[in-house]
Amino acid sequence: MSRSIAPANTYATLREIESRLKSIKNIEKITNTMKIVASTKLSRAQRAMFDSRAYGETSDEIFKKAATQPATEGNKLIIVSSSDKGLCGGIHSQISKAVRAKLALEPEADLVILGDKAKTQLARSYASNIVLSFNQVGKEIPTFAEAQTVADKIFKLGKKYDSIEIFYNKFKSGISFEPTSVPAFTEESLKSSPNFSAYDIEEDLAEDLTEFALANAIYWALAEGHACEQSARRSAMDNASKNAGDMIGRYSILYNRTRQAVITNELVDIITGASSLQ
Amino acid sequence: MSALRLVTRSVLRSRPVVAPWRGSFRGYAEVPSDKIRLNLTLPHQTIYQDVDVVQVNLPATTGDLGVLANHVPTVEQLRPGVIDVVEESGSTKQFFVSGGFAVVQPGSLLSINAIEAYPVEDFSAEAVRAQLAEAQKNATSGSEIDQVEAKIELEVLEALAAVAK
Repeated sequence: MSRSIAPANTYATLREIESRLKSIKNIEKITNTMKIVASTKLSRAQRAMFDSRAYGETSDEIFKKAATQPATEGNKLIIVSSSDKGLCGGIHSQISKAVRAKLALEPEADLVILGDKAKTQLARSYASNIVLSFNQVGKEIPTFAEAQTVADKIFKLGKKYDSIEIFYNKFKSGISFEPTSVPAFTEESLKSSPNFSAYDIEEDLAEDLTEFALANAIYWALAEGHACEQSARRSAMDNASKNAGDMIGRYSILYNRTRQAVITNELVDIITGASSLQ
Repeated sequence: MSALRLVTRSVLRSRPVVAPWRGSFRGYAEVPSDKIRLNLTLPHQTIYQDVDVVQVNLPATTGDLGVLANHVPTVEQLRPGVIDVVEESGSTKQFFVSGGFAVVQPGSLLSINAIEAYPVEDFSAEAVRAQLAEAQKNATSGSEIDQVEAKIELEVLEALAAVAK
């Protein structure tokens, strides 16, 4: 037992233990349900993630083939993909840690945050960097419309960014994820790529292409982050259910022992009283 | 993203053939010299991934475009219209797309990011007509944003009406 119970084995202690036991049983039911919900969401989220990967990689292909490099100077924008809900292990704190490490190197960068959890963490030390934040993120599988809205609002800010980086949690396996960042290239970066001249492209199309590619990259980051979150929530709730199960076992034993001790004390009182009358 | 420009005349062009580009790219099996490798992806679905096909016809904003093996690397924005894919087996699949980008990469690889694409057979002409009437109504009334959205919807629906059976 991790804590010592008061030695007096009275009915009061018994009630206390009983109520603790009831509440732990409730918690175990809740965490178990959350684990099952997260598992179902995870299978759908993973399918969406694979589709989004194929889509994002196709969008990236031109930048790979053109060997585009991100600009090292100028206005920088960091987009953080997170969500609103907690109870998912280290998802939000890890991504915030990665963004903070980046901001330590580039303290002037602007922040666009998708999700309240990352916003609360980053607002503590970098509130002045936040230019846009979105909530109602992460409830469902992300849609392309959401990614487009985010990209659109970024352009409406009117500020010209020289380099854009998107931070998200990369899905490595059912039990592990990794905070990663990918660049979203700007029109200038694309036009100054080594192999850009290989492409036959109309003048004004480069801007439209990079805007489209930004929406694609945001969508990919959101989909992958969503899958990581569901998987992390599943294992967190799994651990919580296991811990709750352990506690239920321990408290049940304690309850029974206390109950028996209370009955024994009652008997002792009765018998002592009866024998003193004799 | 700027609204898709409506093309009033579509011109069928075939680009000059260029020698295959031998540069450094990640090592995967080379595309056979008479095929083009197609990636046709949507945000929520992958229609073709690394599939070698014979020809792809694209509705680009600059005109209709036929892409064969070893096409010169190009970047095209797609307008609402039909993408024809002539597969290795000889059969042609047709998909109606609402918009997106198509990039012919060096090395005979065609990357298409479309927002929505569905087989032409899946559309019903009546549903298109009903939506067209609705969109025409909205295009002349409502707020400015609503009117612009309705106009874009009209572009798509008109292209669709031409194809839906």
